[in-house]
Amino acid sequence: MHTLEPELRTLHAEGVIDDATAARALARNCGQVFSLHAELRATLYAGVLLVMAGVGIVLARNLDRIGPLGIVLALALLAAACSLPAVRARRAGRPVTVAGDYLLLLAALLVSADLAYAERQFTLLGPLWSWHLLLLAIFHAAVAYTFASTLVLAASLAALAGWFGVGGSFGDALFLSTSAPVLGVRALACAAVIAAWRSADRRARPDSTFTDVFDHFAANLAFWGAIAWCAEWPWLAAGLPLLAVLAYASVRRGLDTGREMFLVYGVVYAAIGICAAALPRLHGTTPSLTFMLVVVCAAAATLWLLRRRLRDTGP
Amino acid sequence: MSRWRPSPGEERWLTVAAELGAVVPRSLLAERAGAWRSTGPLARIALFVLGHLAATLLLGILGFSNEAMLLAAGLVAVLTAEWLKVQMHLHASGVEEALGVSGFLMIGFWLSLRIVPASELGGSSFHVLALILAGGAAGLRYLNPFVTTCAAIAFVYWLGSTASARTLDQLVGGGMTAFTSGFALAAVALALGARHYRRPSHDRMLDWLVATLPVAAYVQHATWGYHALAQAPAAVGTGRLATVAMLFALGVAMLLTGLRRRRHAPLLGFMGCVAGLAVEWRLASTVAAETWLIICGLAALVAGAAIDQYLRQPRNGLTSSKLTDREGPLDLLQTAGAALLAQRSAPEAPPESTYTPGGGKFGGGGASGSY
Repeated sequence: MHTLEPELRTLHAEGVIDDATAARALARNCGQVFSLHAELRATLYAGVLLVMAGVGIVLARNLDRIGPLGIVLALALLAAACSLPAVRARRAGRPVTVAGDYLLLLAALLVSADLAYAERQFTLLGPLWSWHLLLLAIFHAAVAYTFASTLVLAASLAALAGWFGVGGSFGDALFLSTSAPVLGVRALACAAVIAAWRSADRRARPDSTFTDVFDHFAANLAFWGAIAWCAEWPWLAAGLPLLAVLAYASVRRGLDTGREMFLVYGVVYAAIGICAAALPRLHGTTPSLTFMLVVVCAAAATLWLLRRRLRDTGP
Repeated sequence: MSRWRPSPGEERWLTVAAELGAVVPRSLLAERAGAWRSTGPLARIALFVLGHLAATLLLGILGFSNEAMLLAAGLVAVLTAEWLKVQMHLHASGVEEALGVSGFLMIGFWLSLRIVPASELGGSSFHVLALILAGGAAGLRYLNPFVTTCAAIAFVYWLGSTASARTLDQLVGGGMTAFTSGFALAAVALALGARHYRRPSHDRMLDWLVATLPVAAYVQHATWGYHALAQAPAAVGTGRLATVAMLFALGVAMLLTGLRRRRHAPLLGFMGCVAGLAVEWRLASTVAAETWLIICGLAALVAGAAIDQYLRQPRNGLTSSKLTDREGPLDLLQTAGAALLAQRSAPEAPPESTYTPGGGKFGGGGASGSY
């Protein structure tokens, strides 16, 4: 065990921190206040993961025994049951609890699985099957706004990205499953839609808790889109400047808001993009590895310096 | 003040700076932390990855033509790490830790190849041990709990692969030697955690061992269990009772210790033991996989909901509420985890669809729809 009590008391005695801050920090440091929030979230996430894995196997194995309609109805009922705590909290005017939020996520995922299953069995939309993803994105967004759930909003944005054809799979990340420029167009279009959605959300609700989720999705999608363009000529001509603009905007945002993840995005994605643009044009292993080493060292130095600046100027 | 690494007092002030954030003027804390400079958790992770990548690229540039290149690349990496540490006063910044660890591993591997050549019988076990020792030494040098924990887990796995362990396993049950060693190490770390440490990093090293070793040791054991179950179901029963007893005993000890000391690590270790007990139940019963998954998932959800409900109002200082609004790695993991689950449960392209990779149109998987 270690305690920082002497240091905190010194700062308090010197008047560097006020009474409230000192009391809060000491209470946390000495264990007078102890939060199980992280353990709770890990337990609830594991619960959702296990139930969804089990449901996936049920869907695959028990089709003949239960029948498609039975499965669809059972999943819908289960989803409704899982959303009950959130519905009750909303009706009582209380905020949804952590457990209620994860149960709501489970309900949303069950609806997704239900729709996926129904589409597979009954081919409701035929060749337009992918529009189910858009429907899911809209449905999840409605649920997220109703219950102010960032988890369900993440599910909605994932479905939206899926509808745009940016599945986030390993093959997509390495541009194996589809051509890089096409993937780039889709990712950038999806990022633009999310950015517009974020902007509208901020205008409508200035104290929105969804901004962070929008930011992370938009940043990742936009960067992958720009990197995808960097991999092929003539898209490279647009991809590199776009990557530079995105990296600058991300770093600027990180410095302005004090969030180091945006510094990491800006620097690391820029390094990946530069390597993706240059490596196909370099011949020989040694020049390629040397170039990558230079880029990696430059990225590390830049990130370190920017992080120092964040510490110096951050909120 | 030491040139080589922060003194315990300086490290404590660095920890205070990290915990209080911008509440305290930076200049004041920087003065008390000596000239040592650190970074945030997310940047540290990114810099750690970049540092490892740089060391690997360096080895790639020098080439794998002979063993001396391992020494050359290792020395360059370690010297760069030491320069960053001693001259630039970087501490827990990721990059110097990764370069140092990579360098130690390369030099350790080179040294082991000099002592026992690769072609010699039984050499690989010695080489692995040398890598583990090098990793452990690097972790202690750079005060990095992640690296010391990886070394400890690798040591437990290595122990289970030795000839003596295999002989012992034939008597007490397959995989039991490594499992018991891992649990014993975790128990020792838990007991040592009761002492007060001046250096926060030493305390964190023990915390990481307590949180991860039970799961790591059990995963190794359970992997063997599944393999044995497929080969010879009758042979599995030998060590199961002992496994369950150890999981239960350590789990209870971790739960009580975690609540008494108000520490997260023992509680995470407890959760690992509970997961192990759930897997043991599955291995011992004939319950279908989907039933087991759904029952365990519902149990986790019910337990989570009950704890959330019970601790919504703090009880004896325990609460289920967040204590800080600062965005941390866990928040990002939560968002990414939700998106990943949503992606896995969303509709996929039907097998008979007109999916044409590379020729997609706008509107989902490149399969259909038009923009």
